[in-house]
Amino acid sequence: MNRKRAVLLGLLASLSVFMSGCWSERQLTDMAIVSAVGIDQDEEGKYVASYQFFNPGNIAGGLQGGGGGQSPPVAVYTATGDSIMEVHGNMSKKVSREPYYSHANLIVISDELAEKEGIASVLDAFSRGSQFRVTTTVVIARDVKAKDLMTTLTALDKVPSQKIMDTLETTEKAMGENINIDLQEVIRGLVSPGKEPLISGFTVKGDVKEGKKQESLQATDLPMTIEADGNAVFKNGKLVDWIDGSGARSVLWVLDRVESTTITIKWADKKDAVSYRVVRQKTNVSADIKGGKPRISVGIHMEGDIGEVRVPIELKDPDVLEKVEKEIREQTRKEIEQAIRRAQKNKTDVFGFGEVFHQAEPKEWKKVKKSWEDSIFPNLNVEVKVEAYVRRTGLRNNSYLSDIKSEQE
Amino acid sequence: MEKAKISPRQLFMLIVLFELGSSIIIPVGLTAKQDAWLAVLGGMVGGLLLFLLYHKVGSYYPGLVPTEYMPKIWGPFLGNIFAFLYVIYLFYLAARVLRDFGEMLVMFAYPETPLFIINLLWMILVVYTVRKGIEALARTGEILFVVLFILAMASLLLLIFNGSIDTRNLQPVFEEGPLPLVKAIGETVFFPFGEIVFFTMILPYINDSKKTKRAGLYALILSGLILSVTMAINLSVLGYSLLARTNFPLLATIQTIELAEFLQRLDVFFIIGVVIGGFFKITILFYVAVMGTTSLFKVEKPEQLVFPLGFITLFLSVGIASSFPEHIQEGLDIVPMYLHLPFQVIFPLLLLVGAFLRNRHKQKSSG
Amino acid sequence: MYKNHFLGKSEGKKSRKVGGAMSPFFKGKKKAAPTQPVDPMPGSITSNLQKNLDVIKQTFGNSPDIIIRPLKTGFAKVDAAVIYVQGLVDSQLLNDFLLESLMKNDFPYDNQPSPEMLDNLSDVVIALGGVTKEKEWSKLLESLLGGATLIFIDGIGEALAVASTQGGETRSISEPSTQSVIRGSREGFTENIATNISMVRRIIKSPDLWIESMKIGTQTHTDVSIMYMNNLAESDVVEEVRKRLKKINIDSVLESGYIEQLIEDQPASPFPQVYFTERPDVIAGNLLEGRIAIFVNGTPFVLLVPVVFLQFFQTPDDYYFRFDIATATRFLRIIIFFISLVGPAIYIAAASFHQEMIPTQLMLILASQRETVPFPAIFEALIMELTFEILREAGLRMPKAIGSTVSIVGGLVIGQSAVQAGIVSPPMVIVVAITAIASFATPSFSVAISVRLLRFAFMGLAAAFGFFGIIIGLIMLTVHLCSLRSFGVPYMAPFAPYRSAEFGDAVVRAPWWATKKRPALSNPENMEREGEAQMPAPPQSRVIKNKSTEKGNEDES
Repeated sequence: MNRKRAVLLGLLASLSVFMSGCWSERQLTDMAIVSAVGIDQDEEGKYVASYQFFNPGNIAGGLQGGGGGQSPPVAVYTATGDSIMEVHGNMSKKVSREPYYSHANLIVISDELAEKEGIASVLDAFSRGSQFRVTTTVVIARDVKAKDLMTTLTALDKVPSQKIMDTLETTEKAMGENINIDLQEVIRGLVSPGKEPLISGFTVKGDVKEGKKQESLQATDLPMTIEADGNAVFKNGKLVDWIDGSGARSVLWVLDRVESTTITIKWADKKDAVSYRVVRQKTNVSADIKGGKPRISVGIHMEGDIGEVRVPIELKDPDVLEKVEKEIREQTRKEIEQAIRRAQKNKTDVFGFGEVFHQAEPKEWKKVKKSWEDSIFPNLNVEVKVEAYVRRTGLRNNSYLSDIKSEQE
Repeated sequence: MEKAKISPRQLFMLIVLFELGSSIIIPVGLTAKQDAWLAVLGGMVGGLLLFLLYHKVGSYYPGLVPTEYMPKIWGPFLGNIFAFLYVIYLFYLAARVLRDFGEMLVMFAYPETPLFIINLLWMILVVYTVRKGIEALARTGEILFVVLFILAMASLLLLIFNGSIDTRNLQPVFEEGPLPLVKAIGETVFFPFGEIVFFTMILPYINDSKKTKRAGLYALILSGLILSVTMAINLSVLGYSLLARTNFPLLATIQTIELAEFLQRLDVFFIIGVVIGGFFKITILFYVAVMGTTSLFKVEKPEQLVFPLGFITLFLSVGIASSFPEHIQEGLDIVPMYLHLPFQVIFPLLLLVGAFLRNRHKQKSSG
Repeated sequence: MYKNHFLGKSEGKKSRKVGGAMSPFFKGKKKAAPTQPVDPMPGSITSNLQKNLDVIKQTFGNSPDIIIRPLKTGFAKVDAAVIYVQGLVDSQLLNDFLLESLMKNDFPYDNQPSPEMLDNLSDVVIALGGVTKEKEWSKLLESLLGGATLIFIDGIGEALAVASTQGGETRSISEPSTQSVIRGSREGFTENIATNISMVRRIIKSPDLWIESMKIGTQTHTDVSIMYMNNLAESDVVEEVRKRLKKINIDSVLESGYIEQLIEDQPASPFPQVYFTERPDVIAGNLLEGRIAIFVNGTPFVLLVPVVFLQFFQTPDDYYFRFDIATATRFLRIIIFFISLVGPAIYIAAASFHQEMIPTQLMLILASQRETVPFPAIFEALIMELTFEILREAGLRMPKAIGSTVSIVGGLVIGQSAVQAGIVSPPMVIVVAITAIASFATPSFSVAISVRLLRFAFMGLAAAFGFFGIIIGLIMLTVHLCSLRSFGVPYMAPFAPYRSAEFGDAVVRAPWWATKKRPALSNPENMEREGEAQMPAPPQSRVIKNKSTEKGNEDES
C-alpha cells in the first residue's frame, strides 16, 4: 500500500507541473522576434535603441489568409534607457509581446555613439545574455542614425537586416573592401592590447524619410538604398577614422580576409588600363626583432586572371605578363604601405601586429605591451612583400582592341 | 553488494564517460592560461599514478569494496569512521555535480525554471537507474558511449570545416614560464582525474580482475586525451581571454559553428552531450554513495534506501551554495585543499601503507 | 497429459462453472479456492454399456453433438457403442475404417466378453492408428474432446480410444496476414497445431528438431507444444521455458498472447519480451539460432523465446535480399523508430522552448502560421495525435473494403479542415502525419504499440521541460531497455554487452557468405554455422596476366 500511495502522490505532483504552465515555456505567438538592434545616443547621453521586429505574417507566405503585402515585413520600435537592460524594460511599454533575441543577427551602432562614448560599454549585455549569439554581425551606421538603418525598407530582401548581413558577406568575398565581423571578434579586438577592431559602416543613400514607407518599394528605381560604406577604425573603443576603397582593401588584406578582389593597374601611360582579378590569395604576417626593435613582415601571395583590358596589350606574350605581374606587385605594395602609414598616424593597430608580436616574442611583448599602440606601433618597421601571378586571361588572349589598333596602323 | 558483474570493457566506457562528465563543460587548468591543455595532460599522468595506487590497495582485498576493507586495515573504530567520512564526501560531491549541471541548464536554456525542479528531474532519472543496478548502468554506458562519440566527432568535423579553429591562439607556449603550468597541473590532478577514486568502489564488480588495471589505465589515457584536445580546441576557437570569461566554454565554441545556412545553432548537440555526461557522473557518484552507505550500515535491502538518499542529495544540491559564482568559488578554493587532497591522496596512501603492513604481518603470522 | 500437479493458488476470484453434478457450486462467495482443481470426472468406467452411455449423456448435458452410435460387433454380435464428437472427427475415416471394420468384424469371441477382445480389436480389426486402452473417465473424455473416437463394449470395464480420427474443418494454409514479404514463402500458420508443427518439420528435416507437448488451461486444455533444436538450443533455457509453462495455472488459454503475458520476464515493461510470428520460415530461422518456439493450438501466432530488442526491427526479407539493400533498410528502420518515438515531442520542444534551434527562415514561417492558432503547441499536438489514434482504430474495425478509405479520407479531410479553420498549424499536421507513417513502417506490431504509448509520455515531457525532458526520457528508456532480460539473455545484446560475433546481423546485415558463427544464444559447442571460404567468386580470375601467375588457360573466349 505504501508503494501505491507514493506512486499516486508522485503522479499528482507531476500533474501539477503541467498545470502550472511551465516556467520557461514560451509560445511563438507570445514573442516579438527581434531581427536587428540599432543603438543611438541622445543629447542626454541615454541610449536610444531601435528594435527591428519581424512581422511573421507578412514575411512567410502561408496558406492561411494569403499573407500580407499591405504592411511591411518588419516593424521598428524605439525605446530609451540608461543601459541596454533598461531599454529592454522600457520596450515592453510599447510592444505587445516580450522581445526575443535569439534571431537578432545584427547590431548597428551609430557613428556618433561610437565617437563620443565608444562601443565598449554598450556591448556587455549582448555578450552576457543567454539569448544573444556571439556570431551576431556588428555594423556602424555612417552619417545616418542607427534607427534609419532599421527603418529603411529594401527591394530584393524582405527583411532589411538580412540585406545588410548578406550584402556584407557578399562584398567581403567579392571586393574585400568591407569587413564582415561578428560580436566575438569585436570584443576580442577591444580587449587585446595588440589589436583594434575594424567594423564596417553602412549608410542610407537617398531619402531616408521615403525609405520608411511601403509604397516606396513599388518602383523599379528606389528612392533609397542601404549601402556598405567604408570601415570604421577604433582606438580604445572609440571611433577615430574611416577607411574606404583600396585603403580598406589593404587593411583587410593584411588581416587575411580578402578572398577575391580586382586590382587595376596602369599600362602604357593609361591609368586603370588592365584589371586583374584575384582568385586566390594568402597572407602571412610574422614578427621578429631586428636591431633591438620589433619588426613585422607581411607577405602576400596572390594568383589570379586578367579580367579586362582597356588598351591593346600583348597578353599572349609571357614577358608582357611578367611585366603586368610586376606592376601589380608594386601597386599593391604601395597601397598596403600607405594604409599602414595611415593607421600609424592614427596610432591604432588595426592590423593586429601587436598580437602577432605577442605570439612570436612573448618576453619582449611584456615589456612593450603598454606602450605598443602609442609609441611603438607608429614607428614600426614593416616590410611588405607581394607576390602576384597571372595564371590565365579568360576566354580570350589578345583583346579586340589590339586588332583595332593594327587595323588603324 | 549486488550479485551483478560488469566486464572490463564496460568499466572502460564508464570511466571515460565519468571523467568527461563535467569536465567537458567546466574548464580546468585555467591557471596556465593558454597552456591549459598541457595542464590537462599533466593531470592525466597524475591520475594514472593515483589509479595505480588505488588499484594496489584494492588488490590486497579482492572482492571487497573500500568501505569494507577500511575497517580491516585500520581496525573497526577508525576504519568505520573514515568510511563514513568517505560516504559523506561522496554525497557532497554528488550534490555538487548535480548543482553544476542544474545551473548550466538553467543558465543556458531554462532561465525561469527553479533549479530545484531541474535537479528533481535529474534525480528521478538517477534514482531510477541506481535501482536498476550497475549492470543496467554499464550496458547503458556502452550504448551512450557510442552516441557521445558520434556527437563529438561530428562537432569536431564541423568545427574544422567552419574554420573556427585558429591554433595561433594557443601561442605563446610557456608564456609565463613553467610555474603556472605546474600549479595548474596541481589542480587538474584532483579534478577531474583524482575523482577516479570513486571507482574503487566499483572495481570489485569486474568479472575479470586481471584486465581491470589495463581497462582503467586505458580509460584514463583516453579521457585525458579527449579532455586535452577539447581544451585545446576551445582555446583555439575562443582565445584565452574570452574562454576565461565564459562560464561554459564548450558551449561558446559550438555556437560559433555556422555552415551552409542551416548547420547553425547546434547548441542542441551540446545539450545532448552534456546531459549524457552529467547523467553518468551523477549516477556513478550517487550509486557509489548509496553502496557505501548500505555496506557501512549493513543494510539488507539497498533499494529502500535509494529514494530517501536521492531526496537528501537533491536538497543538498540546492543548499550548498546560494549563487553560481559562490558555488564555483567553493569548488576552486575549498574543495581541492580540504576534500580532494585528503580523500584522493592522503587517505589512500595511508591505506596502502596500512594494507602493506598488515599483510606482511599476516604472512609472518601464518608462515 | 492432464496431470493434476499444478501447484500454486488457482484463480479463485474468477467464477467457475464446472459442469456436472459432482463439483461444488460457488454462490459468488469468495471462498478460499482449493489448492488443486477438482477432478470433474473421478473414477473409471463400469462394464455395463448402458450405464456408461448414461454417464456420458449426463456429463455432457445431452449435447446433441456428442454422437453415440450403438452397434454390434463380432460373430456373437456383442453390443458395443462408438462415441464421437461431431465436427471434431474426420467422418470419412470414421465411417470407412472404424465403423465398417467393426461392423464387418466376425471374429468368434467367447460368450463372455473379455479384455482380450479389446486387444483383438485394436491389433487386428481397427485399421487406424493411435489406439489406446483406457478406463479412467477423465482420460477418456479428454481424448474424446480431442477428436478421438471411443469404443465401448458391453461387459468390458475398459474402452478403446482411437486418437487418429481427429479431423474436422480447419482453415487451409494461406498467406500470412501480418508479416508479408516481397520475397519469400507465402505460407502462414493456421489454427491447427498439428499442421503448424508439420510445416516447420518440412523446413527443418533434422531429427534434432524436438517437440514437447503439454496442455495448459484448466478449462480449455489447450494443446501447447514447445519446439527446439536439441543440438543448438541451450538446455538451461529450454528447462526454464518448460518450468514457466508448467507454472501457468489459468482456466483458459485462448491465444498465444495469454501465454506470452504469463511467461514474460518483466510484465511491467512496455516492451515485448517474447516474439511472435505467423511465418514458418521465421520460426525455422530462429530455431536454427538456438531459440525455442511455443505453439498454441487455436492461433496461427507462434511464440519465440529468448528475444532481443533488435529482432523487432528485422523482417524475413532482410535475409532473402542481398546484404547492401538489407543493411540500408535496417538503418532506415532505426531512423523510423526514432521519428515515431520523439517526432512530435521534438516539435513541441522546439516550438515552445528552444526557438533558437530553428533556423531563422523556418522559424518565421512557423511563427506566421502559429499566429492564427489559439492553442499552445502541446495541445495542438495532443489533439492531432488523438485524432490520428481514433482514425487508426476506426480503420481497424471497419471491414477491409471501406477501412482504408475511411482512414485516408478521414485523415485528409479532417487535417485539411482543421488547418483551414485555424485549429492546428500545417507544420503540426506534417509532423503528426510523418510520425504516423513512421509508426506503420515499424516491422513489429508489438513494438509499434509500445511506441505509441511512449510517444505521449515524451510529448508530455517535452511540453514540461523541453529538450532536456526529452533527453532525460530517452536516457531513462535506454536504462530500462538495458535492464531487461528475456529468459536470461540481455535485451540489448549485441550492443550491450558488446558481442562482436553477433554484430553481423544487428544493424548491418553481413552477407551470407560472411556469417560463420551462430549467435551466442546457441550451445557453445555448436557455433560454426558454415564452412570455410564461402564467398562466391567466378571460376577463373580474369585479371591481367603477369609473370607471377601460373600458365593458365590460354583460351580467352
